[in-house]
Amino acid sequence: MSDSAARPPEQEILRVFQREGGSPPGRDTTPAVGTRGEPGPYRRAVEGAAVSLARRAFGDARWSYLYDKGTGYSSRASADGAVADAARRMRGGPEVTVAVQGPVIKPAVWTWEVPLYFWFGGIAAGSSFVALACDAAGDRRSAAVARKLVLAAALPSAPLLILDLGRPERFLNMMRIFKLRSPMSVGAWCLAGFSSTAAVAVAAELAGRERIARAADAATAAQGTVLGSYTGVLLATTAVPVWARSRALLPAIFVCTAVATGAAANRLALAASGVPAGHPTREALGNVETFAMATELALSAINERRLGRLSDALERGRPGRLLWLAKRGVWAGLLLRLARRRGGPWIDHLASTTFLAAGLAFRFAWVGAGRSSAADDEAVARAARSSSP
Amino acid sequence: MRAAPGERAVRDREAPRMGFFTDTTVCIGCKACEVACKQWNDLPSDGSESRRRGSYDHTGSLGAATWRHVRFVESVIPSGERREQAREALAAGAGGNVPAIPAAGGMPTVQELGGAGAGVRPDEVLDLVDMASAVDDMDSWLFMSDVCKHCTNAGCLDACPTGALIRTEFDTVIVQPDVCNGCGYCIPSCPFGVIDRDPFDGRAAKCTLCYDRLQDGLEPACAKSCPTDSIQFGPYDELVEVARGRVTALHERGLDGAYLYGAGDAPGEQLAGGLGAFFLLTAPPERFGLPARADSPIQENTPVASASALVAAGAGLLATVASVVAAHRRRRR
Repeated sequence: MSDSAARPPEQEILRVFQREGGSPPGRDTTPAVGTRGEPGPYRRAVEGAAVSLARRAFGDARWSYLYDKGTGYSSRASADGAVADAARRMRGGPEVTVAVQGPVIKPAVWTWEVPLYFWFGGIAAGSSFVALACDAAGDRRSAAVARKLVLAAALPSAPLLILDLGRPERFLNMMRIFKLRSPMSVGAWCLAGFSSTAAVAVAAELAGRERIARAADAATAAQGTVLGSYTGVLLATTAVPVWARSRALLPAIFVCTAVATGAAANRLALAASGVPAGHPTREALGNVETFAMATELALSAINERRLGRLSDALERGRPGRLLWLAKRGVWAGLLLRLARRRGGPWIDHLASTTFLAAGLAFRFAWVGAGRSSAADDEAVARAARSSSP
Repeated sequence: MRAAPGERAVRDREAPRMGFFTDTTVCIGCKACEVACKQWNDLPSDGSESRRRGSYDHTGSLGAATWRHVRFVESVIPSGERREQAREALAAGAGGNVPAIPAAGGMPTVQELGGAGAGVRPDEVLDLVDMASAVDDMDSWLFMSDVCKHCTNAGCLDACPTGALIRTEFDTVIVQPDVCNGCGYCIPSCPFGVIDRDPFDGRAAKCTLCYDRLQDGLEPACAKSCPTDSIQFGPYDELVEVARGRVTALHERGLDGAYLYGAGDAPGEQLAGGLGAFFLLTAPPERFGLPARADSPIQENTPVASASALVAAGAGLLATVASVVAAHRRRRR
């Protein structure tokens, strides 16, 4: 596996410097031994040669003038649990008693690609639900639109994720193993499967094989349940307090965004493709987006109450302003939906567009909030002391 | 204590679990371990910024190119009077003796010093600081050689989607640099903030417990270089015995605050199932930037989060289908 061709990196390094800022340029990154991009050569100079100082079973590590016998370094530990008690005294209480000298944890290094992917993936998952719903209702025309939208939203997802990798040319390593334990592995496989069945559905429809297309729709929607929700699990299973402590509701909030943005995008696409106003699918999608966004607003409020002081990360700084904007957007959309009886279809279109934009703002706000939450050493230390909600 | 159930790892009867016991009571903050680690593992420098945030610890934190970090815990409560003295000394002109107030917010900032009217350039500040009185001012100066904890329940290992992070036959956790594609998921998954992605290299990197040296029967570079044996390396069970004895000895001498961070705990109170690299500390863990409690975030949160995800996604799918179907039924009627 050679990456040296892909990254002989002087220009690349300069680019990263400009992006990351921080340490001064001029760092010599030429490896002292081996080839850049190649794994370190764990090879002896002379095969089978004796290693100086090496003794059997780490003999070189055993001698110590400090903890040898007779130095008083160590006593015989009593078996009455005094050692465990000492630890309990110092790290057992619910309150942080000293100033925290951080950093405690590291924030995620993900850039704009990831929240944007969350948004596209959410639209794709929500649209797959819509496609299945149209199949179930026998609305072939709307199903055809929804199917294409699923594929259109799924297509930019993989490139976005690959762009965010530190070594994009190695993206296929994601397919090296399937690891149920890792939400990202589950997500990568799910995105691959979802995109494939979505493509099959569109191809079958173009070839006039309606039954195959419908079967593919069902498979896509089934995987859509994972694609639309795993992103919430992905964030909730990190050490970042604001994500981890939202674990009970964050996946549900992300599903709400996915369903709402999916329905909104489909409603707009149906209108653009000439489905008339008052068509039952258009009407139903309007209701779905409204209901999903209202649910998201309610769940967010409950979540912030449960978080207590940890919700600071959701209120302060850029992510805080973005979340504020997203919530106001949802309220505006809800009001537009209420006022729509007096206006024409444009009011509905405006509401759908607002929901789509609010969904995007929600994605960016949640990812950004993780960054500021991880950087807040006091909050991280406090979260570690308090029991999980 | 072996790896978490359900996790596959290399097994070798010749290789017991190996670990570090870092005893902060004998650490002198010489940073020899950092240097040895950088040299052996061929890691680049952290830049040449001195006294960042007013601390004598020039390294700052663990990172992709810093696998050992001697953390300086400089604790001092600076009085307003002392800060005033510093400003006056500066105002008296270059060469005046500035009482230094290092660490957590105590040091007058470079801007403050520069703006004090003495025309002192920021790069001159170091010369004006009286090191001896700075040390006198501190109520304690603790050092802790921080390192990857090689957890039993390793968050990074659980998170890794490519299988680049593996558990070795020594029950340590390493990144395979030829597999890692730099997805970055291990970084927020580490409850101790150890692993990081190198922006120049694009891959995640952290302490390997010198896996290459271990395979040749050598102790890791940092432990080898430690002049006071603050870093001790050996079979995990033996190390825990030594460490427990050390805590008992310190208690006997009246140092009641001594405790083990990451070993010797009762089941259920362990940090991440027990740390392969554990520490003897004399102050609450937050002073050293360590969380008081920690576990693999994935093992801790996945059950609740996946339940929430499945219920919500199922409800979303059903609600969408039901509302579209119902709208069509109403229309037909």
